[in-house]
Amino acid sequence: MTPGPAYALAYAGLWLVLIASAILAITFGPAHISASDVWAVVLHHLGWGDSPVSRLRDAIVWELRLPRVLAAIGIGSGLALSGTVMQVLTRNPLADPYLLGLSSGAALGAVIFLLAGAALLMPLGAFVGSLTALALALLIARLLGGATPSRAILAGICIAALASAMTSLLIFWSATGDSYREILSWLMGSLSGTTWADTGLVGLGLVLCAPAILFSGRGLDAFAFGDAAATGLGIDIARLRWTLLAATALLTGVMVAIGGAIGFVGLVVPHAVRLAVGSRHRVLLPMSMLVGGIFMLWTDTAARSLFDPRELPVGIVTALVGAPAFLLILLRYRRVT
Amino acid sequence: MRLPAFTLATVLVALAAIGSTAVQAATAYPLTVQNCGVDVTFDRAPQRAVTIKSTATELLLSLGLSDRIVGVGFQDGPLPDDLAAAGAGLKVLSDKLPSQEVVLEAEPDFIYGGWESNFAADGVGERPTLAALGVGTYVAPAACRSFKPPRLTFEMLFGEIEEMGAIFDVESAAAALVERQKTSLAVLVPDARRLTAVWYSSGTKTPYVSGGTNAPAMIMRALGLDNIFGDIDDGWISASWEAIVDADPDVIVLVDAAWNSAEQKKKLLADNPITSRLDAVVNQRYLIIPFPASEAGVRNVPAAVDMAAQLAALQFPVP
Repeated sequence: MTPGPAYALAYAGLWLVLIASAILAITFGPAHISASDVWAVVLHHLGWGDSPVSRLRDAIVWELRLPRVLAAIGIGSGLALSGTVMQVLTRNPLADPYLLGLSSGAALGAVIFLLAGAALLMPLGAFVGSLTALALALLIARLLGGATPSRAILAGICIAALASAMTSLLIFWSATGDSYREILSWLMGSLSGTTWADTGLVGLGLVLCAPAILFSGRGLDAFAFGDAAATGLGIDIARLRWTLLAATALLTGVMVAIGGAIGFVGLVVPHAVRLAVGSRHRVLLPMSMLVGGIFMLWTDTAARSLFDPRELPVGIVTALVGAPAFLLILLRYRRVT
Repeated sequence: MRLPAFTLATVLVALAAIGSTAVQAATAYPLTVQNCGVDVTFDRAPQRAVTIKSTATELLLSLGLSDRIVGVGFQDGPLPDDLAAAGAGLKVLSDKLPSQEVVLEAEPDFIYGGWESNFAADGVGERPTLAALGVGTYVAPAACRSFKPPRLTFEMLFGEIEEMGAIFDVESAAAALVERQKTSLAVLVPDARRLTAVWYSSGTKTPYVSGGTNAPAMIMRALGLDNIFGDIDDGWISASWEAIVDADPDVIVLVDAAWNSAEQKKKLLADNPITSRLDAVVNQRYLIIPFPASEAGVRNVPAAVDMAAQLAALQFPVP
């Protein structure tokens, strides 16, 4: 079951594309700074040579573009990883990281913090909100007689609807002047204003949660065949399910807290990668992460530089690109099956 | 013989005043005005007006029409000092946009809205519906979206004041107000230091700033400020911080709103690792304007005068 050399090659190729994309993407942006200057600034901050540009242009590269590029990669890979796991755990091809009410709970938490006058603590509100929503969904599923995938999904839909309605009510009730804009851009998913602190949190989330998921590849393979088959293979399903659920929830919570509810990445990327490499999770999981990172990096680069000097919430771009891509994947599936 | 000369001058001024009042004919009803793509006909001067948004309320109060206002809604902030007394007794229908039923309950014969979007089915009602009920409607021309308004000028604002004067048959009050505002503008000296500026209204991660067509752009032109987003053919845009940092404006205009105060914005700009390095932030070069005065209306001229004084007080190192 060890991945063959062809996969190793594809894997290395994706890493190369990711690194090349990052190096290229930081040269794009509303401020006209030449590519060589941009790279010189990065090298300068890494300890090589002098910065060739003014103090502010230096900051544009090092404080605005680089943390955002890295956060985009981190969030894209995290969402793709969470999406892959959720699709297996719930045995539902429509699953995405937000399935169990996570994004709606996050939105509600963020809006409550924003209205309470703590705009800077919005990420914390989002994180608390998403985990609360998940906990409620699972609790309801348990009360219904055990947290099976379908019960969890139904409970999640319920919690999501309730949280969305409360978010809308709060916005409708309180929106004064143009204050709703802040919430709107967050609801659509946006990476503008990402700082190094945000990027650090994204990285921390990945470091804490991703290994647990990546090392569960074999268990997830068994899981795909059903609970009985997995038990037959000597896997403690209940433990695996809870570990994975906790890891994805935490990971998604962090991603939503920083980037808002960015749609379609966690749904489309796992399907696209599965179509290309099959559903062996030891291959699928890391590849989904890489593709998710690359996808998110380029959609965010488009969101911040195509409409110079305006900014677009990146969620609009991921949906604009993701929805047609999903259709193509569905068409391919039809031919394959 | 100084006394007679003085008397003569007084008489002449008085005569001139009478003459200019006489020129302004009273409104001949029915009066039809074209407003934001809709023809509105008035059979007589409105007696029971409802105003939505601060700009509408302030314009009617400035014309001395407080006794004709039966209700106000969606006010953005407190009235300016010179109108506070006149507007003290106004009935507030709703802090937010009132619904159609709430507005109709006040039995208005005229609704004056600061934004075109106020006239929606889930707002005060659609304009044709209200017309069928015999309620005249008027949208501040600068806020018209059905037809893209041209780049806003003070002349257009004066046009709105004069049109409202005609609708209410208070032409002389309108003419006097326009005259006062023109006099204020005439003595406003644009800053000659060729300073650049950005008008920052709201938003933290994505700043919401003035483009090149709306009241803020007009005020910045009057102040002699070079708006870094002045080329953008739109009133407001969600800009990127990168574009603002790249332009490094000399001055930042902060809109002081109840829900997002100038102090909050100052703190945000100072705390953020990149905006804290902007020249204007390092040297605290801010101009502050209350939110209601930043929307197209009668407060724009006094706000421009006030901001000109703030601007003149800012020190710049001689290059």
